[in-house]
Amino acid sequence: MTKITLGCEPAVGSLAPSKKRDYRVTNRLQEGKRPIYAVVFNFIDSRYYNVFATVGGNRVTVYQCLEGGVIAVLQSYIDEDKDESFYTVSWACDADGTPLLVAGGINGIIRVIDAGNEKIHKSFVGHGDSVNEIRTQALRPSLVLSASKDESVRLWNVQTGICILIFAGAGGHRNEVLSVDFHPSDIYRIASCGMDNTVKIWSMKEFWTYVERSFTWEELPSQFPTKYVQFPVLIASIHTNYVDCIRWLGDFILSKVNDCLIQSVDNEFILWEPKMKEQSPGEGTVDILQKYPVPECDIWFIKLSCDFHYNTAAIGLYNSGNREGKIFVWELQTSPPSLIARLSHVQSKSPIRQTAMSFDGSTILSCCEDGTIWRWDTVATS
Amino acid sequence: MPGISLVARETTYSRGSDQMCRHEARVQLSPEEQTAAEESLSVYCKPVELYNILQRRAVRNPSFLQRCLHYKLQAKQKRRIQISVSISGATNDGPQTQSLFPLYILLARLVSTTNVETQCTAVYRFSRVCKLMVFGGDETSSSARAKFILPEMSKLSMEVKSGSLAVLLVRCADTTNLEGIDLTEDHMFSTSLSRVGYCSFGKIPIDLLHSSWQASPTLSLGGRAEMISTVIMQTCYMKLSCLDGGKCVSFHFPYNSEALSVLQQVPVIICAEEAGVKNMSPYDMYSYNDTPRPGIMRLRSGNVIFNYKYYNNMLQRTEVTEDFSCPFCLVKCASYKGLRFHLTSSHDLFHYEFWVTEDYQVVIVSMRTDVCNSEIIPDNVDPKQQMFFYCYKSARRRKPKCLTQNANHVHPLVLDSAMPANLTELIDNTDCVPECMERDTYSPDASATGHSFAEPESVQSVPGSNLGPPAMLQFAKTRKLSIERSDPRNRALLQKRQFFHSHRAQPMALEQVFAERDSEDEVDDDVADLEDRRMLDDFVDVSKDEKQMMHLWNSFVRKQRVLADGHIPWACEAFSKLHGPDLVQSPSLLWCWRLFMIKIWNHGLVESRTLNNCNMILEQYQTQYMIDPNLNPNPNPKPIPNPISNTITSDDR
Repeated sequence: MTKITLGCEPAVGSLAPSKKRDYRVTNRLQEGKRPIYAVVFNFIDSRYYNVFATVGGNRVTVYQCLEGGVIAVLQSYIDEDKDESFYTVSWACDADGTPLLVAGGINGIIRVIDAGNEKIHKSFVGHGDSVNEIRTQALRPSLVLSASKDESVRLWNVQTGICILIFAGAGGHRNEVLSVDFHPSDIYRIASCGMDNTVKIWSMKEFWTYVERSFTWEELPSQFPTKYVQFPVLIASIHTNYVDCIRWLGDFILSKVNDCLIQSVDNEFILWEPKMKEQSPGEGTVDILQKYPVPECDIWFIKLSCDFHYNTAAIGLYNSGNREGKIFVWELQTSPPSLIARLSHVQSKSPIRQTAMSFDGSTILSCCEDGTIWRWDTVATS
Repeated sequence: MPGISLVARETTYSRGSDQMCRHEARVQLSPEEQTAAEESLSVYCKPVELYNILQRRAVRNPSFLQRCLHYKLQAKQKRRIQISVSISGATNDGPQTQSLFPLYILLARLVSTTNVETQCTAVYRFSRVCKLMVFGGDETSSSARAKFILPEMSKLSMEVKSGSLAVLLVRCADTTNLEGIDLTEDHMFSTSLSRVGYCSFGKIPIDLLHSSWQASPTLSLGGRAEMISTVIMQTCYMKLSCLDGGKCVSFHFPYNSEALSVLQQVPVIICAEEAGVKNMSPYDMYSYNDTPRPGIMRLRSGNVIFNYKYYNNMLQRTEVTEDFSCPFCLVKCASYKGLRFHLTSSHDLFHYEFWVTEDYQVVIVSMRTDVCNSEIIPDNVDPKQQMFFYCYKSARRRKPKCLTQNANHVHPLVLDSAMPANLTELIDNTDCVPECMERDTYSPDASATGHSFAEPESVQSVPGSNLGPPAMLQFAKTRKLSIERSDPRNRALLQKRQFFHSHRAQPMALEQVFAERDSEDEVDDDVADLEDRRMLDDFVDVSKDEKQMMHLWNSFVRKQRVLADGHIPWACEAFSKLHGPDLVQSPSLLWCWRLFMIKIWNHGLVESRTLNNCNMILEQYQTQYMIDPNLNPNPNPKPIPNPISNTITSDDR
């Protein structure tokens, strides 16, 4: 599918850190014994840019990053089901600006927590299996997408509790959906990827009336005419293995290849441009632009995090051979990609499941399988 | 209790140490305690009822295990006699007897005897031969004993009359020859070989054995009958052959054989015992070896006493079953061991203790506490919604007839007489608790059972409970009754759990669940329209207006369910009415529609009259549009109601 013509090879990032910025550990927090799978800053509401949330086990915790590396616990929520294991969390927002936390995990029930009033707002039932990722539409922060093991992606309105669209069916994913993301400017467009090795780009344009209706729906949520979106506008089979992370970078897509499953420890993120054919949906070509190597990482289901402007990205990587959890900080938008810093610590011995970059990229948080949260802050370099 | 209770009577028999089979007669109970005891006995009702249902279902289709059991039971009941033949070494008198071995023992049937002038020939047919190498003693090795199975005594007497069956002792004379004849080897009998040789031959006719066994007092009771018989061996000429696939041996005796042959006397011990009585418990031993003590009402060995514990195991009720029958499902379990396995595997709602003594085979039944707890209906639960119902019959309903309704294999056992009168009453009271179940279980035909429950007075309410008339034994009720109550029951079942919409996977509200509207097989028109448009988009040689026309028609046909050719005339007129206002505004679209109508007229799907009607409709809209282009007579077209019936009625062909 990908034909690379002469002179159009993708630019591969160098692994020599530019040291443009440097980070050092300013805090380390032991949240509990259970692994923490997700950490995310609140980019939805400018008042709470320094607030972040973590999920691990049946617990959702809200923290605040303070000056001098201090982390303050604000709230903690525990699901009454002890067997719940949250995999993902995302910040969303009510119509009146109340910050909401949307968390999902092994049970497949999406919990919407009203962090402003410290109570459960809604629970979304519908997914037939565990929820792997939840993302919020920054342009309409009441809309969230959930990617699930049940091979579907669903669009929810957290304000009214409506399942608006289900992206599944004839053209849908053929295995677990691992990651999903909203297009930053094109509100109709989303991308998803999963264990069927494909990346699918979907359009909600024809269904947008239903999205609008979901905001004004007065009746029972179960009576809403939920629609199935069966055919994506593009199916890209650029990877030969599980695709476990996908992010839009403008009109380009960053997706992660997992070569660790095929005896290699070198993974990479690739930045590519989807080229859709207007007349024939589903078909299209891709143009691979850049590659961001993720070397010596032999675990998967690791997600990348970016700062608000997608200038820098942080990715945690772990090698089970030398038991070393490292963080690579990439400058995303330069060509060729340049590695800013390679963060490691003698005590960082556990797989890093997710990182979170603060609004301006000055703080990086990482959450680990051993239940610790690490805070890295930039060091002023002369 | 499914079996029948023991009735306390005055008997002379009383044993203080008899723990197995005794009512706890010394427990003095106040009336309140009696009521409580009655209540506690009722915990047996529901499990027993369940087992009754299972049993009834198993009547038509018995489980594999029980069919096997039935076969085993029959096989076991087939009585046989096992004999073992050995040579007594007590009268060992030197080398002559030493050379007796190897001695072959055959259970053979005389096929034919021929008396020619010089010799007499006897042909015996047999299937199995045993080779004895040593004198018989206490050891049970196969080289010292030959074992055979004979039919039971009554069948054996038939054999005796024919006189053909006999136990033969054969010693091949030429023992030194290693290549000699070995009767145990099958290939010796092959026709090609036709082995011959001299041998010593002795015979014990079976009638001799039979008469001695008949005289034996122990054999019929399961004991051993041992007899020593001296067999005279005579020399003869032996020939092995094969007859109709069976092994045969023929002996030729010269008439002067007595003069010629060396006669040898062999003392033979023959032990006989009935097969199948080997596995005896102490209970069986007692019954066969001793005379029963006076006062013990000895029944047959298959009698098992069941003690049902209740009222915190303070009280027990007792019943007896025969033939190792299970008291719950009446399966005959062949042995006490079998009963034990059956009970623990098939009726695990109860807890069992098994006791075997010389006097009794007892099973102590008690409620399993865990099961018991879960089965009790809490106060706030409507038992009508439960699967099983509590049944209680008041004391005055008790009639002696339930005693006469017993199946044949359940008898009351007379037991401990030390029970005071009030306890007798108590037992009478408790006895009637499961009366309907008893009837249910032991009623010989199922229809009668069903009928007995249809009687209104046989179903009574629980005293002191607000349950209302309980629907006892739903399964036994008539169909009509179950339908009557099915609606609220179904409703309750629907209320119990969460339902999810089959399209949207969203939890449904209760009113949605109960609503008449069923959207399960509905086509999502919006999505179908979208897909239709997407499909039409792929056509490259079709103009935009044509695509629009196709889309309008496709979605109209789908929504109105235009399926048959006969629907087309109606569909054309309705389509013209529905889309006419839009069509007249776009002449190219109108042309497409007219072209399409001509096409279907070409195919013979519509008549010219329909075409005319459609054009009249369109003309009407056109004139309206000419008068006032802004006036849209049908701004928001609604789907035309009653599509199919219109097709038929409006068409007056």
